[in-house]
Amino acid sequence: MNMTSELWAALVTCFAAVFTGNILLSYFLGMCPFTSVSREVKTALGLGCAVVFVMTSTAALNWLAYRFILKPLELEYFRFVMFIIIIAAFVQFVEMVIDRYSPKLYYNLGIFLPLITVNCAILGASLFMVIRDYSFIVTVGYGFGSGLGWLLAISAMAGIRQRLANDRIPAGLQGPGITLIIAGLMALAFIGFAGVLT
Amino acid sequence: MKVIRSLLDKLYEVPGLQRYKPIIGAADAILYGTNETTHAAPHVVDNIDIKRYMSFVILALLPAVAASVYFFGFRVIAIIMVSYMAGGAVEVIFAMVGKHDIHEGFLITGLIFPLVLPPTCPLWVVAIGVVFGTMFGKEMFGGTGRNIFNPALVGRLFITIAFPAIMSANWQQPFDYSLETDATTVATPLGKYKSTAMAGEVNPTVVEFKEDEANKQVLFTSAAAVEKCTLNPESKFDGVKIYCVGNGAYKKAAKHKRIEESNLTRLFSYGDLLVGKEPGSMGETCRIVIILGGIFLMFAKVSNWRIPVSYLGTVFVLALVGHRFLPQDIAPPVFQIFAGGLMFGAMFMATDPITSPFTKAGKYCFGVSCGVLTVLIRSFTGYVEGVMFSIVIMNAFTPLIDQIVLMFKYRPAKT
Repeated sequence: MNMTSELWAALVTCFAAVFTGNILLSYFLGMCPFTSVSREVKTALGLGCAVVFVMTSTAALNWLAYRFILKPLELEYFRFVMFIIIIAAFVQFVEMVIDRYSPKLYYNLGIFLPLITVNCAILGASLFMVIRDYSFIVTVGYGFGSGLGWLLAISAMAGIRQRLANDRIPAGLQGPGITLIIAGLMALAFIGFAGVLT
Repeated sequence: MKVIRSLLDKLYEVPGLQRYKPIIGAADAILYGTNETTHAAPHVVDNIDIKRYMSFVILALLPAVAASVYFFGFRVIAIIMVSYMAGGAVEVIFAMVGKHDIHEGFLITGLIFPLVLPPTCPLWVVAIGVVFGTMFGKEMFGGTGRNIFNPALVGRLFITIAFPAIMSANWQQPFDYSLETDATTVATPLGKYKSTAMAGEVNPTVVEFKEDEANKQVLFTSAAAVEKCTLNPESKFDGVKIYCVGNGAYKKAAKHKRIEESNLTRLFSYGDLLVGKEPGSMGETCRIVIILGGIFLMFAKVSNWRIPVSYLGTVFVLALVGHRFLPQDIAPPVFQIFAGGLMFGAMFMATDPITSPFTKAGKYCFGVSCGVLTVLIRSFTGYVEGVMFSIVIMNAFTPLIDQIVLMFKYRPAKT
């Protein structure tokens, strides 16, 4: 395959990962930070950007590790452990960078930054990349698109929850309850994209 | 009258009826009106209150209701009644449990919801849709003025996904009183365009007929395209089925000597589309009264012109450019504006002040995004119509849009 068609395929995969197969709204991966860090737009945007960065980089790193280490050694079944280790190391790195350059964001993200490590969306993107047999460039596009889709969903949710903060939501539904209902309604609306560029 | 007044006053005091206070309150408000001030959004700087606001929208919707009764028969009334009863029951239960008053907002949801349904929709589906819409679209968020999504569209969305066969297959042909035929079911104009465009060529410059190609068909979307093709001496039309969009293209093709009348079909005319003689959801077909109603709302300052104008404008521009390059997928601009639920959605649903942005820049952003999504979903997915999806998706982004606009507008000054 030549370079242009490869790039085009990456672009299409990226778009599809944002809208058609949104990792949060159609696969429901990464729900834990989605429900707990979506109280404020600024924090949500911060975490979302961190996820975009981590997802793109780890998908690429994992692709390299899978292709050049696991496959030649025929250790494909080992990929879960390998991927998790790479993700954990990488998140540690990101954490140190944020701590150094934006202590406020670091403080706001709190426990959730280390929790990106066990964010199923990150591992999910890497595993989907293996299952779907993507090439390297397409994998980068897919990782970036998945992260972007997640960022889009969590920032919309944070906007909604910030507006709902003063509302009279039935007592039993406050917090995670109403968040899951809103996520469900958003997912319902995103079904409309089914079939675009798959 | 005094008897009723004193009866109501007494009912308020009866201890056993405290639980049913919202119902008594509603009866009181309907019979006598209240002197209370608005305490829930939308707040408008005007001597307008939520009640007048709602009644203006209902007033603007009434012509569309009348048109749908005219075109689809008295079943429309039954559907509206089911919608009011089932949705009203949910509203009353939530008012009693949550101990608040019954809000007037439901009067609009209960009327708009049936108008976006196909006329053949079974009554039980209507009830399910309106119950879901009122409950998950509105009451879960605390009632009128606090909802994030348009409740009518949430209900419509739910039954579209849950009962796809009922919601997208049987479209009733509007009654034509000059013909004595029974109601028949056909595809909507958007559906007809999609299936014909997929089956053959669109606006070809030359039509060739080959013996081995059975059922060859072409679609022309404008008179200019017909002319271009017929002027080409190499075009051969024998046995080729020709479909035309609009009267202009149809007449042009009918005049041409080499095209046989029997092979020529007009998909629909723009006039029929405007008046409402083409199939579609109950309230959306008669575009002319929808436009009048929408303009009335804009002049009454109940809805804002920015969203409909940017919404329709975006769809027009995108379709104009897109139809030139991808005629197979993207329908021509004027047709897109007048087809499907776009006009109804842009005039009555996207302009809902609670679920659309309150900042000016946000309104433009909302309208443009809705337009992009509508064209995208209409052209490239399995769904024929994209207005509902696009408005609900943008409802979800409305608070974010507003917050981002405010963030830019009231940025702390740099020191």
